[in-house]
Amino acid sequence: MSSILKAQKFNAAKAARNANGKGKRKADDMMDVDDSDSDSGEENGQTAGPAVKKRKNKQRVLLLSSRGVTHRMRHLMNDIEVLLPHVKKDSKLDSKSQLQLLPELADLNNCNNTLYFEARRHEDLYLWAAKMPNGPSIKMHVQNVHTMDELKMTGNCLKGSRGLLSFDKGFDETEWGKLTKELFTHIFGVPSTARKAKPFVDHILTFSILDEKIWFRNFQIIEKDPLSPNGPPQTTLVEIGPRFVLTPIRIFEGAFGGATVYSNPEFVTPAAVRSAVRREQGKKYNLRKDAEEASSLRKEQRRREEDELAVSKVFA
Amino acid sequence: MPSTAVNTVKKLKAIAAEAIQARVLDTQSDDQESEDDGGVDEEGMKRLMKALGEDGLDEFDQAQLEVALEGEADVNGDERDREEIDGEETHTLEPDLVQLEDVEAAIDDVIPTQKVEINNKVALSRIRESIQLDISLPWTETLAVSYPHAIQVDVNDDLSRELAFYKQALHSATHARLLVAKSYSDFPWTRPNDYFAEMVKTDVHMERVRQKLLDEKATIQKSEDKRKEREGKKFGKQVQIEKIKERERGRKEMEERLKGLKRKRKDTLEAGVGDDQAFDVAVEDAITDRPHKRSQSGFGSGSKLSRQSRDVKFGFGGAGRRLKQNTRSSTDEFDFGHKRSTGGPSRGGGFRGGAKGGPKRLGKSKRLAAKNK
Repeated sequence: MSSILKAQKFNAAKAARNANGKGKRKADDMMDVDDSDSDSGEENGQTAGPAVKKRKNKQRVLLLSSRGVTHRMRHLMNDIEVLLPHVKKDSKLDSKSQLQLLPELADLNNCNNTLYFEARRHEDLYLWAAKMPNGPSIKMHVQNVHTMDELKMTGNCLKGSRGLLSFDKGFDETEWGKLTKELFTHIFGVPSTARKAKPFVDHILTFSILDEKIWFRNFQIIEKDPLSPNGPPQTTLVEIGPRFVLTPIRIFEGAFGGATVYSNPEFVTPAAVRSAVRREQGKKYNLRKDAEEASSLRKEQRRREEDELAVSKVFA
Repeated sequence: MPSTAVNTVKKLKAIAAEAIQARVLDTQSDDQESEDDGGVDEEGMKRLMKALGEDGLDEFDQAQLEVALEGEADVNGDERDREEIDGEETHTLEPDLVQLEDVEAAIDDVIPTQKVEINNKVALSRIRESIQLDISLPWTETLAVSYPHAIQVDVNDDLSRELAFYKQALHSATHARLLVAKSYSDFPWTRPNDYFAEMVKTDVHMERVRQKLLDEKATIQKSEDKRKEREGKKFGKQVQIEKIKERERGRKEMEERLKGLKRKRKDTLEAGVGDDQAFDVAVEDAITDRPHKRSQSGFGSGSKLSRQSRDVKFGFGGAGRRLKQNTRSSTDEFDFGHKRSTGGPSRGGGFRGGAKGGPKRLGKSKRLAAKNK
C-alpha cells in the first residue's frame, strides 16, 4: 500500500514542480485556493485580499478510478475529462479499501474536488463526488451509461468551452438535494480561471431529479437554425452525451469518510437485485422438487399392508 | 462503534435486572439474591438470567420487564440518534429490529430488511453553508441555472422523459441567454464564425455520425419505396387487363374499317387494276383516320414526338447487326448458289457444298435392310 502511495505522490510532486516552474502567477492562485480551503472551506478565495481584486471561482477536480473498470466506464471517464477542462486525471487507484489516500492525492495535485469512480465486480459503478480537504462526499450508484462515442448523439461542442449548468426544482425541495446541487456546481461548473477553458457557451449540462435519481444529460446549444441561416435566431438543442443516472446512496460529512448525514433508504444494492432475480428464477425448480417429494410421500402412505389372502401367500 | 453498542446492551440488561430484581428476590431463594443491588455486574446478571429461564417469570413480571425496556429505549433516544448519524450497522442489535428480522426469517419472505433512514437536515444545511460559494460572486463564474418546475413524468416512458429533460435544458439555455444579454453584455456567448478550435468530438467521429444519419435516411427511403411498390402491385393487374382490352378493341375497330372499305370497293377491285391507287389512298385514309379519332376522344396528343424523344421513350434497339452487309470474304466469293458464310475463315466449301448437308440417302433396298436388321 505504501508503495502505491509513494508512486502516486511522486507523480503528483512532479506535476506540481512543473506547474510551479511555469510561472509565479499560477503558484499564487493555488495558494489562494489552499488558504481559503484550509481555514473556512470556502472556495471563493481572496476574502483576505484587497477589495479591488475581482472575485474568482477557483475549482480543480481530481478525476480517477479504481482498478477494474470496464471499457464503458473508462470511456465515460474520458468523456467527463474532455468536457471539463479543470479536471486533472490521475492513474487508477489500486485499492478500494484505502480511500483515505484520496484527500492526500488531491492535495498533491492541488485539487479541491474529487470525482472517484469505483468499479465493483466489473459491472457495478459507483461515483464518489467529494469536496476535498474537509468534505462532504456523496456516494452514488451509476447506471444507464451512454458515452459520447455512440453515434446516436449527434451534437458537438468546443473542447473546453464553459457549459451552463441546469438543475431542476427537485434539487431545491430537499436538504440533500440542495447540498448535491452546491457540490455539483463546484465540480461540473467550469471556472473561468481554468487554464484550458475557452470563452464561449455552447453546451448545457442538465441535472434532473426523477424517481429519486439524478439524471444527467448534455446538450449542444444551437442558436441558428441550419435550415434557415438568415431567419430569426431560434435556440435548439442537440444531445452531445454522455448520459447517466446517479442514485445517491450516502452523504458523508468528511472527505471519503466521516459521519453519515444522509442515507437513501430506497437504495437497493445491485447485488441484491441480481440475487433476487436469481431467486425468482430458482423458485420454479424449488416448487417442482417440493411437489415431487410430496407426491412420493403420499404414494408411500397409500401403500397397503400385505394381505393375508394375497395371491402369493395362498398359492405358495 | 461496536463497543458503544455493547455498552448499550449492557445498560439495557442492567436496567432490566434492576426492574425485576425486587420480584426475583422473593420468588427465588438462591445465593445470587444476596448480591448487593447496586453492583450487578455482567457475569452475575448472565447467571441470574440463565437461572431464571423463561418460566421463572410470570406474565406480570414480563410485562414489567417490557415496560422497563421501553423506558430505557426512550431515555437512550438521543444516544441512538447519534448512532444513526455515525452510520454504523449497529442498529441490527437493537431489540425492535431484531424482532423484525426474526419475523422475516420465520416467514422466509424476500422483503428486504428495513433500513434506517438517515436524514440529518441540520448537518446537511450546515455543511452546505460551509462549502457555499460567495454570494457576491457574479453569475458568470458558475453559470448555474435553476429550472422552476420539477420533472414529473413516467420514468419508463422514454419519449416523454427525454422530452422533459430537453424542455428543462431549453428553458435554462434561453433563460441564461436573456440573462447574459440583460446583465452581462460583455460576456462572450456566441462563437464567431471565424473562431476555429478543437472540438469535443473529432471530425472523423462526426463524419461517422453523418454517415450513419445518411444510411438511416436511405433505409427509410428504401422501405418506403418497397411499400409503395407492394401497394402498386395490388392495382397493377387491373391496369394490365385494361390495357390488353384496349388494344384488342383498337385492332377490332381497324379490321372493321378495312372490311367496310373492301366491301365498298368490291366491284371496282374486281373490275380491274386501274383503281388500285385510289384504293391505297382510301386505306391510308382509313388507317390515318384512327389517330385523329383518338385525339378527338381525348387520347394522347396529335403532334408526333421527335425522333430523339421517341428513342428515349420507346428505346432505340441499337444499330443493326449488319448481317447482310458484305464482308471481305464474301466479296471474294463468286459462288452464289450456296449459303454465305459471313465472318470467320471460309472453309472452302464451294466445291463440295452438297456433301455438307448430312449423309447421303441410301438406296431403297439398303434402307429396308437397315430397318429389318
